[in-house]
Amino acid sequence: MKKIFAVLAVSFFTVALQAQFSKANLQASGLTCSMCSKAVKVALEKVPFVQEVKVNIKTQEYTIVFKERNNAEFDALKNAVEDAGFSVASLKVTGNFSAVSVQKDKHLQLDGKNFHFINSSDKVLNGEQTLTIVDKDFLSAKDYKKYSAATKMECIKTGKAGNCCVKDGMQSEERVYHVII
Amino acid sequence: MLSFNQKLLSGLKRERSFINNYEMKDIRILIVSFVFALSSSTVNAQGPIPNITDYRLDFTVVDMKGDSIRLSSLKGKVFLLDFWASWCGPCRYANKQLVKYYSKYKSKGFEILSVSLDDEEKDWKKAVAKDKITWIQGFDKGGWDSFAAIKWQVDALPSSFLINKDGDVVGINLEKDELEKKIKELLGL
Repeated sequence: MKKIFAVLAVSFFTVALQAQFSKANLQASGLTCSMCSKAVKVALEKVPFVQEVKVNIKTQEYTIVFKERNNAEFDALKNAVEDAGFSVASLKVTGNFSAVSVQKDKHLQLDGKNFHFINSSDKVLNGEQTLTIVDKDFLSAKDYKKYSAATKMECIKTGKAGNCCVKDGMQSEERVYHVII
Repeated sequence: MLSFNQKLLSGLKRERSFINNYEMKDIRILIVSFVFALSSSTVNAQGPIPNITDYRLDFTVVDMKGDSIRLSSLKGKVFLLDFWASWCGPCRYANKQLVKYYSKYKSKGFEILSVSLDDEEKDWKKAVAKDKITWIQGFDKGGWDSFAAIKWQVDALPSSFLINKDGDVVGINLEKDELEKKIKELLGL
Protein backbone atom coordinates (compact mmCIF):
# COMPACT_ATOMS: atom_id res chain seq x y z
CA MET A 1 0.00 0.00 0.00
CA LYS A 2 2.84 2.31 0.90
CA LYS A 3 4.48 1.49 -2.40
CA ILE A 4 1.34 2.28 -4.40
CA PHE A 5 1.02 5.55 -2.59
CA ALA A 6 4.63 6.39 -3.43
CA VAL A 7 4.08 5.61 -7.11
CA LEU A 8 0.94 7.71 -7.12
CA ALA A 9 2.76 10.54 -5.41
CA VAL A 10 5.60 10.46 -7.94
CA SER A 11 3.31 10.35 -10.95
CA PHE A 12 1.18 13.11 -9.50
CA PHE A 13 4.28 15.18 -8.96
CA THR A 14 5.54 14.79 -12.54
CA VAL A 15 2.12 15.48 -14.04
CA ALA A 16 1.51 18.39 -11.72
CA LEU A 17 4.61 20.25 -12.74
CA GLN A 18 4.26 19.99 -16.47
CA ALA A 19 4.75 22.80 -18.86
CA GLN A 20 6.06 22.95 -22.39
CA PHE A 21 7.08 26.25 -23.92
CA SER A 22 6.13 26.72 -27.54
CA LYS A 23 6.88 30.30 -28.51
CA ALA A 24 8.18 33.67 -27.42
CA ASN A 25 7.56 37.31 -28.27
CA LEU A 26 10.62 39.48 -28.20
CA GLN A 27 11.27 43.18 -28.59
CA ALA A 28 14.77 44.40 -29.33
CA SER A 29 16.19 47.85 -28.77
CA GLY A 30 19.39 49.66 -29.51
CA LEU A 31 20.90 52.95 -30.52
CA THR A 32 19.63 52.54 -34.06
CA CYS A 33 16.29 51.37 -35.42
CA SER A 34 16.34 47.70 -34.43
CA MET A 35 13.63 46.70 -36.90
CA CYS A 36 15.67 48.28 -39.72
CA SER A 37 18.29 45.58 -39.46
CA LYS A 38 17.84 41.99 -40.50
CA ALA A 39 20.54 41.02 -38.00
CA VAL A 40 18.21 40.24 -35.08
CA LYS A 41 15.97 38.00 -37.19
CA VAL A 42 18.94 36.14 -38.65
CA ALA A 43 20.54 35.67 -35.22
CA LEU A 44 17.31 34.34 -33.70
CA GLU A 45 16.83 31.91 -36.59
CA LYS A 46 20.22 30.40 -35.82
CA VAL A 47 19.26 29.45 -32.25
CA PRO A 48 18.99 25.62 -32.30
CA PHE A 49 15.53 25.29 -30.72
CA VAL A 50 13.98 27.97 -32.92
CA GLN A 51 11.68 26.78 -35.71
CA GLU A 52 10.61 30.10 -37.18
CA VAL A 53 10.91 33.85 -36.59
CA LYS A 54 8.15 36.21 -37.71
CA VAL A 55 8.62 39.97 -37.76
CA ASN A 56 5.66 42.03 -36.67
CA ILE A 57 6.28 45.64 -37.59
CA LYS A 58 3.07 46.95 -36.01
CA THR A 59 3.99 45.71 -32.54
CA GLN A 60 7.75 45.97 -33.18
CA GLU A 61 7.96 42.35 -32.07
CA TYR A 62 9.62 39.15 -33.18
CA THR A 63 7.43 36.10 -32.73
CA ILE A 64 9.71 33.12 -32.20
CA VAL A 65 8.15 29.69 -32.70
CA PHE A 66 10.03 26.91 -30.93
CA LYS A 67 10.59 23.44 -32.30
CA GLU A 68 8.48 20.67 -30.83
CA ARG A 69 9.82 18.95 -27.74
CA ASN A 70 12.41 21.67 -27.46
CA ASN A 71 14.46 22.35 -24.43
CA ALA A 72 14.34 26.09 -24.88
CA GLU A 73 16.98 28.00 -22.94
CA PHE A 74 15.74 31.57 -22.98
CA ASP A 75 19.25 32.89 -22.38
CA ALA A 76 20.12 31.75 -25.90
CA LEU A 77 17.54 34.19 -27.30
CA LYS A 78 18.98 37.05 -25.31
CA ASN A 79 22.52 36.16 -26.37
CA ALA A 80 21.50 36.02 -30.03
CA VAL A 81 20.00 39.51 -29.87
CA GLU A 82 23.09 40.86 -28.12
CA ASP A 83 25.41 39.21 -30.64
CA ALA A 84 23.46 40.99 -33.37
CA GLY A 85 24.30 44.29 -31.70
CA PHE A 86 21.02 44.99 -29.92
CA SER A 87 19.54 44.33 -26.52
CA VAL A 88 16.33 42.73 -25.34
CA ALA A 89 13.62 45.20 -24.36
CA SER A 90 11.00 42.55 -23.60
CA LEU A 91 10.75 38.77 -23.70
CA LYS A 92 7.49 36.94 -23.14
CA VAL A 93 7.43 33.15 -23.29
CA THR A 94 4.29 31.17 -23.92
CA GLY A 95 3.72 27.57 -22.99
CA ASN A 96 1.09 25.00 -22.29
CA PHE A 97 0.61 24.37 -18.58
CA SER A 98 -1.18 21.57 -16.82
CA ALA A 99 -2.01 22.02 -13.18
CA VAL A 100 1.03 24.07 -12.23
CA SER A 101 0.71 25.64 -8.79
CA VAL A 102 2.58 28.88 -8.44
CA GLN A 103 3.16 30.93 -5.36
CA LYS A 104 4.32 34.48 -4.99
CA ASP A 105 8.08 34.91 -4.54
CA LYS A 106 8.66 31.13 -4.70
CA HIS A 107 10.77 28.90 -6.91
CA LEU A 108 9.39 26.23 -9.15
CA GLN A 109 10.88 23.80 -11.66
CA LEU A 110 9.12 23.67 -15.01
CA ASP A 111 10.18 22.09 -18.28
CA GLY A 112 13.64 21.43 -16.83
CA LYS A 113 14.15 25.06 -15.85
CA ASN A 114 13.94 26.92 -12.56
CA PHE A 115 11.46 29.75 -12.31
CA HIS A 116 10.94 32.34 -9.64
CA PHE A 117 7.47 33.89 -9.75
CA ILE A 118 7.94 37.46 -8.63
CA ASN A 119 4.46 38.90 -8.47
CA SER A 120 1.99 36.08 -8.88
CA SER A 121 -0.73 35.45 -6.37
CA ASP A 122 -1.04 31.80 -5.35
CA LYS A 123 -2.80 30.03 -8.19
CA VAL A 124 -2.91 27.01 -10.45
CA LEU A 125 -1.96 27.54 -14.08
CA ASN A 126 -3.68 25.58 -16.80
CA GLY A 127 -3.69 25.81 -20.58
CA GLU A 128 -1.77 28.43 -22.53
CA GLN A 129 0.03 30.90 -20.30
CA THR A 130 2.50 33.66 -20.99
CA LEU A 131 5.30 34.59 -18.63
CA THR A 132 7.37 37.76 -18.89
CA ILE A 133 11.02 37.36 -17.99
CA VAL A 134 12.23 40.14 -15.71
CA ASP A 135 15.88 39.15 -15.28
CA LYS A 136 18.54 41.79 -15.83
CA ASP A 137 19.13 42.45 -19.56
CA PHE A 138 15.71 41.04 -20.50
CA LEU A 139 13.96 44.38 -20.07
CA SER A 140 14.77 48.05 -19.61
CA ALA A 141 16.99 48.98 -16.68
CA LYS A 142 14.12 50.97 -15.20
CA ASP A 143 11.71 48.06 -15.26
CA TYR A 144 14.36 45.67 -13.96
CA LYS A 145 14.87 47.93 -10.97
CA LYS A 146 11.16 47.91 -10.28
CA TYR A 147 10.86 44.11 -10.34
CA SER A 148 14.11 43.43 -8.52
CA ALA A 149 12.77 45.46 -5.62
CA ALA A 150 9.84 43.03 -5.38
CA THR A 151 11.91 40.22 -3.86
CA LYS A 152 14.48 40.14 -1.10
CA MET A 153 16.21 37.10 -2.58
CA GLU A 154 19.66 37.55 -4.05
CA CYS A 155 18.93 35.38 -7.08
CA ILE A 156 17.21 38.26 -8.93
CA LYS A 157 20.57 40.01 -9.13
CA THR A 158 22.59 37.09 -10.49
CA GLY A 159 20.00 34.89 -12.18
CA LYS A 160 21.61 31.99 -10.33
CA ALA A 161 20.30 30.06 -7.34
CA GLY A 162 23.29 31.15 -5.27
CA ASN A 163 23.29 30.74 -1.52
CA CYS A 164 19.83 32.12 -0.97
CA CYS A 165 17.97 29.51 -2.91
CA VAL A 166 19.77 26.22 -2.40
CA LYS A 167 17.27 25.38 0.30
CA ASP A 168 14.72 24.96 -2.50
CA GLY A 169 16.72 21.98 -3.76
CA MET A 170 18.75 23.78 -6.41
CA GLN A 171 22.51 23.83 -6.90
CA SER A 172 23.99 27.27 -6.37
CA GLU A 173 25.12 27.47 -10.01
CA GLU A 174 21.72 26.67 -11.46
CA ARG A 175 20.01 29.27 -13.61
CA VAL A 176 16.80 30.77 -12.24
CA TYR A 177 14.48 32.67 -14.56
CA HIS A 178 12.58 35.43 -12.81
CA VAL A 179 9.13 35.88 -14.24
CA ILE A 180 5.90 37.75 -13.81
CA ILE A 181 2.51 36.59 -14.96
CA MET B 1 39.90 53.69 -62.86
CA LEU B 2 39.18 52.24 -59.45
CA SER B 3 38.18 48.62 -59.22
CA PHE B 4 34.67 47.82 -58.05
CA ASN B 5 35.98 46.74 -54.70
CA GLN B 6 37.82 49.98 -54.13
CA LYS B 7 34.79 51.99 -55.17
CA LEU B 8 32.61 50.13 -52.75
CA LEU B 9 35.10 50.38 -49.94
CA SER B 10 35.47 54.11 -50.44
CA GLY B 11 31.69 54.31 -50.34
CA LEU B 12 31.73 52.36 -47.11
CA LYS B 13 34.07 54.81 -45.43
CA ARG B 14 31.48 57.46 -45.99
CA GLU B 15 28.79 55.40 -44.37
CA ARG B 16 26.04 57.13 -42.49
CA SER B 17 27.16 58.18 -39.09
CA PHE B 18 24.12 56.59 -37.44
CA ILE B 19 24.99 53.14 -38.68
CA ASN B 20 26.61 51.33 -35.80
CA ASN B 21 29.52 48.93 -35.97
CA TYR B 22 27.33 45.90 -36.30
CA GLU B 23 25.50 47.21 -39.30
CA MET B 24 28.81 48.24 -40.84
CA LYS B 25 29.91 44.65 -40.50
CA ASP B 26 26.72 43.48 -42.20
CA ILE B 27 27.22 45.77 -45.13
CA ARG B 28 30.79 44.61 -45.50
CA ILE B 29 29.57 41.03 -45.56
CA LEU B 30 26.97 42.04 -48.13
CA ILE B 31 29.56 43.51 -50.42
CA VAL B 32 32.01 40.69 -50.02
CA SER B 33 29.32 38.13 -50.77
CA PHE B 34 28.01 40.26 -53.59
CA VAL B 35 31.36 40.50 -55.30
CA PHE B 36 32.04 36.84 -54.66
CA ALA B 37 28.68 35.73 -56.06
CA LEU B 38 29.16 37.68 -59.24
CA SER B 39 32.84 36.95 -59.70
CA SER B 40 32.17 33.25 -59.76
CA SER B 41 30.61 33.36 -63.20
CA THR B 42 31.12 36.79 -64.73
CA VAL B 43 33.97 36.96 -67.19
CA ASN B 44 34.72 40.60 -67.63
CA ALA B 45 38.05 42.30 -68.29
CA GLN B 46 37.06 45.18 -66.04
CA GLY B 47 36.18 42.93 -63.14
CA PRO B 48 32.90 41.74 -61.75
CA ILE B 49 30.72 44.85 -61.63
CA PRO B 50 27.12 44.03 -60.71
CA ASN B 51 24.76 45.04 -63.52
CA ILE B 52 21.00 45.45 -63.35
CA THR B 53 20.52 43.33 -66.48
CA ASP B 54 22.00 40.33 -64.67
CA TYR B 55 19.13 37.91 -64.11
CA ARG B 56 20.34 37.37 -60.55
CA LEU B 57 19.65 41.04 -59.77
CA ASP B 58 16.72 41.86 -62.02
CA PHE B 59 13.21 41.95 -60.54
CA THR B 60 9.74 43.28 -61.17
CA VAL B 61 7.73 45.31 -58.67
CA VAL B 62 4.30 46.92 -58.75
CA ASP B 63 4.11 50.71 -58.87
CA MET B 64 1.54 53.07 -57.30
CA LYS B 65 -0.89 52.60 -60.20
CA GLY B 66 -0.55 48.84 -60.06
CA ASP B 67 1.63 48.59 -63.18
CA SER B 68 4.67 46.33 -63.29
CA ILE B 69 8.08 47.95 -63.30
CA ARG B 70 11.09 45.91 -64.32
CA LEU B 71 14.42 47.01 -62.87
CA SER B 72 16.37 46.33 -66.07
CA SER B 73 13.97 48.56 -68.05
CA LEU B 74 15.65 51.54 -66.39
CA LYS B 75 18.93 50.82 -68.14
CA GLY B 76 20.23 53.95 -69.87
CA LYS B 77 19.33 56.21 -66.96
CA VAL B 78 21.40 57.34 -64.02
CA PHE B 79 19.28 56.18 -61.11
CA LEU B 80 19.19 55.27 -57.47
CA LEU B 81 17.72 51.94 -56.41
CA ASP B 82 16.49 52.58 -52.89
CA PHE B 83 15.13 49.99 -50.46
CA TRP B 84 12.99 51.38 -47.67
CA ALA B 85 9.81 50.88 -45.61
CA SER B 86 7.28 53.24 -44.07
CA TRP B 87 8.13 51.99 -40.55
CA CYS B 88 11.85 52.67 -40.98
CA GLY B 89 12.65 56.02 -39.37
CA PRO B 90 16.07 56.50 -40.98
CA CYS B 91 14.48 55.79 -44.39
CA ARG B 92 11.92 58.53 -43.90
CA TYR B 93 14.71 60.90 -42.97
CA ALA B 94 16.62 59.89 -46.10
CA ASN B 95 13.50 60.54 -48.21
CA LYS B 96 13.73 64.22 -47.29
CA GLN B 97 17.18 64.35 -48.87
CA LEU B 98 16.06 62.40 -51.91
CA VAL B 99 13.12 64.73 -52.54
CA LYS B 100 15.64 67.57 -52.75
CA TYR B 101 17.99 65.81 -55.18
CA TYR B 102 15.16 64.49 -57.29
CA SER B 103 13.66 67.90 -57.92
CA LYS B 104 17.13 69.27 -58.67
CA TYR B 105 18.35 66.56 -61.08
CA LYS B 106 15.20 65.01 -62.54
CA SER B 107 15.26 67.30 -65.55
CA LYS B 108 18.93 66.37 -66.12
CA GLY B 109 18.02 62.70 -66.41
CA PHE B 110 18.23 61.41 -62.82
CA GLU B 111 15.68 58.85 -61.67
CA ILE B 112 14.92 56.99 -58.46
CA LEU B 113 13.33 53.58 -58.07
CA SER B 114 12.25 53.02 -54.49
CA VAL B 115 11.29 49.55 -53.38
CA SER B 116 9.16 49.38 -50.25
CA LEU B 117 9.39 46.28 -48.07
CA ASP B 118 6.20 47.21 -46.23
CA ASP B 119 3.73 44.46 -45.40
CA GLU B 120 0.67 46.64 -45.89
CA GLU B 121 0.08 48.42 -49.17
CA LYS B 122 -1.86 51.20 -47.43
CA ASP B 123 1.08 51.97 -45.11
CA TRP B 124 3.32 52.30 -48.14
CA LYS B 125 0.93 54.58 -50.04
CA LYS B 126 0.35 56.77 -47.01
CA ALA B 127 4.09 57.26 -46.49
CA VAL B 128 4.65 58.03 -50.18
CA ALA B 129 1.99 60.76 -50.00
CA LYS B 130 3.28 62.14 -46.70
CA ASP B 131 6.90 62.31 -47.87
CA LYS B 132 5.77 63.90 -51.17
CA ILE B 133 7.51 61.28 -53.28
CA THR B 134 7.01 61.67 -57.02
CA TRP B 135 9.61 59.24 -58.34
CA ILE B 136 9.01 55.61 -59.28
CA GLN B 137 7.67 53.72 -56.29
CA GLY B 138 7.66 49.94 -56.23
CA PHE B 139 6.06 47.67 -53.70
CA ASP B 140 7.55 44.31 -52.81
CA LYS B 141 5.60 42.80 -49.95
CA GLY B 142 7.32 40.36 -47.68
CA GLY B 143 9.76 42.37 -45.61
CA TRP B 144 13.24 40.88 -45.47
CA ASP B 145 12.04 37.86 -47.40
CA SER B 146 10.73 39.82 -50.37
CA PHE B 147 12.10 38.77 -53.73
CA ALA B 148 13.96 42.00 -54.54
CA ALA B 149 15.44 42.28 -51.03
CA ILE B 150 16.79 38.74 -51.21
CA LYS B 151 18.24 39.26 -54.69
CA TRP B 152 20.06 42.40 -53.60
CA GLN B 153 20.96 40.88 -50.23
CA VAL B 154 19.42 43.78 -48.37
CA ASP B 155 19.87 43.25 -44.65
CA ALA B 156 19.45 46.76 -43.33
CA LEU B 157 17.18 49.67 -44.21
CA PRO B 158 17.67 52.04 -45.85
CA SER B 159 19.92 50.45 -48.47
CA SER B 160 20.61 52.17 -51.74
CA PHE B 161 22.54 51.43 -54.91
CA LEU B 162 23.56 54.11 -57.41
CA ILE B 163 23.41 52.87 -61.00
CA ASN B 164 25.11 54.43 -64.03
CA LYS B 165 23.79 54.61 -67.62
CA ASP B 166 25.33 51.21 -68.41
CA GLY B 167 23.33 49.63 -65.59
CA ASP B 168 26.37 49.10 -63.40
CA VAL B 169 26.27 49.49 -59.62
CA VAL B 170 28.71 52.28 -58.88
CA GLY B 171 27.86 53.26 -55.31
CA ILE B 172 26.31 51.71 -52.24
CA ASN B 173 24.61 53.65 -49.44
CA LEU B 174 25.92 57.03 -50.50
CA GLU B 175 24.12 59.97 -49.00
CA LYS B 176 23.98 63.74 -48.82
CA ASP B 177 27.00 65.50 -50.42
CA GLU B 178 28.65 62.28 -51.51
CA LEU B 179 25.51 61.17 -53.27
CA GLU B 180 25.00 64.51 -54.96
CA LYS B 181 28.62 64.66 -56.10
CA LYS B 182 28.36 61.23 -57.65
CA ILE B 183 25.01 61.97 -59.32
CA LYS B 184 26.48 65.08 -60.91
CA GLU B 185 29.52 63.16 -62.05
CA LEU B 186 27.41 60.42 -63.65
CA LEU B 187 25.16 62.96 -65.38
CA GLY B 188 28.25 64.77 -66.69
CA LEU B 189 27.38 68.01 -64.91
